[in-house]
Amino acid sequence: MQILEKTGMKAWNKAVSMKPDDIINLIGEKKLIGRGGACFPTAKKWGFAKEQESDDKYLICNADEGEPGTFKDKFIMENNPENMIEGILIACYTIGAKQAYIYLRREYRYLEKGLKKIIIGMIKKSGTDINIEIILGAGAYICGEETAIINSIEGKRGEPYLKPPYPAVEGLFSKPTVIDNVETLANVPLVMFDENWNPDLRLFSLSGNLKKPGIYEAEVGITMGELMKMGRPDGKIKAVYFGCAGGCMSFKKDTKVDYDVIDKAGCMLGSCTVIAVNEKNSIVDMAAVIAKFFEFESCGKCTPCREGTMRILALLEKISLGYAKPKDIELLEELSIVIRDSALCGLGKSSTTHVLTALSNFRNEFEEKCR
Amino acid sequence: MQIRLNSRDIECDEGMTILDVAKENNIRIPTLCHQEDFPSEARCRVCLVEVDGKLMPSCSTKAREGMVVETENKNVKRARHMNIELMMSAHMQSCFVDVKDHALCRIVAEEGIKDIRFTPAKEQVLDDMGRAITRDPNKCIKCGRCVQVCRDIQNITAIDFAYRGHHSKVTPYFDKDLHDSYCIKCGQCVLSCPVEAITEQDHIPEVLKAIADSRKHVVVQTAPSIRASLGESFGNEPGTLVKGKMVAAARKLGFDRVFDTNIGADLTIIEEANELIERIKNNRPLPMITSCCPGWVKYAEHFRHDLLPHLSTCKSPHEMLGAVIKSYYAEKQGIKPKDIVVVSIMPCTAKKYESAREEMKDDVDYVLTTREFAKMIKMHKIDFDKLEDEDFDNPLGLSTGAAALFGATGGVMEAALRTAYETATGKTLTKIEFDQVRGIEGIKSGDIEINSITIKFAVAHGMGNVQELLKSYKEYHFIELMACPGGCIGGGGQPIPTTWAIRKKRMEGLYEEDHNLPLRKSHENPVLIKAYEEYLGEIGGRKAHKLLHTKYFERDL
Amino acid sequence: MRGELDKIIDEKKLLLPILTEIQDREGYISEETVREVAKKIGIPMSKIFGAATFYSFLTTKPQGKYVIHICNSPSCYVNGSMNLIKVIEKELGIKSGETTDDGLFTLHIGSCIGCCDNAPAMLINDKEHFNLNKKKVKEILDRCRS
Repeated sequence: MQILEKTGMKAWNKAVSMKPDDIINLIGEKKLIGRGGACFPTAKKWGFAKEQESDDKYLICNADEGEPGTFKDKFIMENNPENMIEGILIACYTIGAKQAYIYLRREYRYLEKGLKKIIIGMIKKSGTDINIEIILGAGAYICGEETAIINSIEGKRGEPYLKPPYPAVEGLFSKPTVIDNVETLANVPLVMFDENWNPDLRLFSLSGNLKKPGIYEAEVGITMGELMKMGRPDGKIKAVYFGCAGGCMSFKKDTKVDYDVIDKAGCMLGSCTVIAVNEKNSIVDMAAVIAKFFEFESCGKCTPCREGTMRILALLEKISLGYAKPKDIELLEELSIVIRDSALCGLGKSSTTHVLTALSNFRNEFEEKCR
Repeated sequence: MQIRLNSRDIECDEGMTILDVAKENNIRIPTLCHQEDFPSEARCRVCLVEVDGKLMPSCSTKAREGMVVETENKNVKRARHMNIELMMSAHMQSCFVDVKDHALCRIVAEEGIKDIRFTPAKEQVLDDMGRAITRDPNKCIKCGRCVQVCRDIQNITAIDFAYRGHHSKVTPYFDKDLHDSYCIKCGQCVLSCPVEAITEQDHIPEVLKAIADSRKHVVVQTAPSIRASLGESFGNEPGTLVKGKMVAAARKLGFDRVFDTNIGADLTIIEEANELIERIKNNRPLPMITSCCPGWVKYAEHFRHDLLPHLSTCKSPHEMLGAVIKSYYAEKQGIKPKDIVVVSIMPCTAKKYESAREEMKDDVDYVLTTREFAKMIKMHKIDFDKLEDEDFDNPLGLSTGAAALFGATGGVMEAALRTAYETATGKTLTKIEFDQVRGIEGIKSGDIEINSITIKFAVAHGMGNVQELLKSYKEYHFIELMACPGGCIGGGGQPIPTTWAIRKKRMEGLYEEDHNLPLRKSHENPVLIKAYEEYLGEIGGRKAHKLLHTKYFERDL
Repeated sequence: MRGELDKIIDEKKLLLPILTEIQDREGYISEETVREVAKKIGIPMSKIFGAATFYSFLTTKPQGKYVIHICNSPSCYVNGSMNLIKVIEKELGIKSGETTDDGLFTLHIGSCIGCCDNAPAMLINDKEHFNLNKKKVKEILDRCRS
């Protein structure tokens, strides 16, 4: 797998012999984009932060992988953490940061000790005075959002805040801050050092009703059928969920899994999470399970998400138990649209994608449950 | 620059938000969590408008050249209505049935929302055991205004959001009741709440009962701030002096005597100026810090035990007057003190707590806020504007301009300096206005020479500024601290809204009152000169200390 | 706790790590400790309480010796997590958020813990337990009891 290639500090050595602007150009040319779900061009983000004049700048490695069905960052931290750390060092050097934080989700606490050891070793080897600290999260999906991470590290509630100001200009402790995903940073050394680095290779997290769930490296654009073949379906796959926030589609083996296709279907490919769901599962029940997730993880700051996610769950439970009427489905749909349009952050905005796509692809299951 | 707002091309300036532009052009956009004088957090989502096809909060989105904004199209209305329905299902639904004058319920009426399609949230326990401030979490719409004020202006954070998602609520630490916490009762949160989820504790029923009880001699006293603020509740401009009508209304409500807290303020100055001079002579803890603000006192008792010896031992004006009413006045009139009920009308919520403090609880029986007083007047269907001016009762109704200043930040300082200077030096001040301590600047300071000592003084208002000034407190001889921004005219009991523009106008009203009164120095008050001669004895003497001075306690968090 | 607090604050500096450390040592974040922390680092108690109660893994109430976080997100759900949750609820006699009377177990039904390729899964005291079934779950609980 490309992601498991170990560069062993060679990329760092190359980086420190280059000017930061040249590093940014290189990363930009090779088209490295964020792998946390937002797909923002990494070079651009680094460029904004580098431009800022400040004695203090920060790099935050977003290891708060929380999207259900996603475990690719865990895979990297277990199998090639050195690349991630090398990427962190290179990023710090490029933007001018002396302090980096790895915001590691609490649920991955068992990785902390091992990571600490490797960090100490690599910092020694690099001879740099860059400091890398691990900050453990405490269980909040919303803290995967970049402004929420900043608030969380600052000791506040992990609520997102309004942008502008953008983190690259005014972020952690009001200083220029770059927040990058684990997989993005782990690719940085490969981008710098591997001439044959393929930007289209992504880590797909496959799980659900599969006999061989796991992390599979494949090119964006692979078909659903090919993905399922790798994962070995358990039963007949009816639907595919792109995590909880990405929505669902009917399983069709020829569907290309790339950003455009998935986007046109009303879904979000995000960080390439694919959950396979077989015929034994009711889509209505799936919707209730996912609605429960968002109701539990909503931070509570804005009205539509705070109050709305609870009402979405209530409506879906009502439908699931068979107490609902057709107008409840209409209300469910309208509420989903309003939450999507009026929520303050990405969590709220994507909290109802699963409802809207379930209704457009499996409406009959909902209608059958109503009187 | 130019933006397109509801199909009209509109000129606007750099830095304006869409909401600013709309307001300037008389285009209505409802808002809830947005507070004037504050950066917006865009929590409530009521002010959403469509900007280039996406819904954005107008309170925090800055206008950009060529922006296309729609404030009333289908998407906007659908989102606005549904978010209001979601809020109303959390806010007590009874408000919807019996429309109260809450900002939220007004919007419901304005938007013509007839149906709330969501089930109500779980019922929550009231926090209403405190004397000063009460909370009804069922009404709370989590707009965050109270938290913003308590955290960013007062720098206290007695309340904050806790828990997550729809379980999140505004609460003191560990779900305590407010009165169990380090809340200082300043009531700035009450001023900010758009739905009366936080209000003052209601004492109108007790006062009405006392008035109706023929065995009781019910005396009302009105704070300096009231005469410049009460009029707002009846449609007057902020700062309009309505002293005469205020007194007339109080009589119509059935109070047996209408006295003026201002004479209590004069008394406070006489005692406090004397205390200051004594402290300077004997080098006892300096600086001396004013203690008439119970919010500041409570703060010191929780957080600054080291400053307690610096607090003036003087009671606050209404407490002093209450003590005088129940002793001097009672004796002279031949009324038993236990048959007297003293009611103070205050711009303040903390004074409800102050009047119940163990060491002073007999002086003042009930405190009503300006708002409660206005409510009582309206309840009795008194046509305030048509009232003929009346005068306070004798003798405890005569006061000076110095007392009138008490309601404004810097007023206590100015009044005290007028008396301290003249009584210590024996000279008359050439200019009796102390401009250095007037105005809304957060921290003000100055100095004056008294008997070849340069007395340095400073003033701060709003707890954020208070804490800032205290960093350098040792530089001064005398400090006035007010918990509320603007001083008492910005108090938690004042008419809502209370913005900076309104605070300024109320202050102007008080400066006008001082300017126009024949007597302007507390030590010249003839009623008090007589009171000392025939009853109180020496200024700062044993009897004065017993009646007019108090003590403080170290409290934990 | 008081003596150690200074050292913890010095070392961890930021509030979230401080709270995590406090809970590691005392089992939960108590009012007394929050009062001391507030006094030492100058952050108001209500703000600390607001931050502590925001997170799923922090608590202001005493917990059991073994804290169980079991996943009920889609991947675990379609692999039968609901049945396991029912088994645990029955075995322990508690629901999510509750602690057993003997103080041994606290149960939390929560969100994805990232073990989706070994579903259904749970964490007990931050340690992962994979590929669960009824038998395994009962064995694990018994091992904790002994």
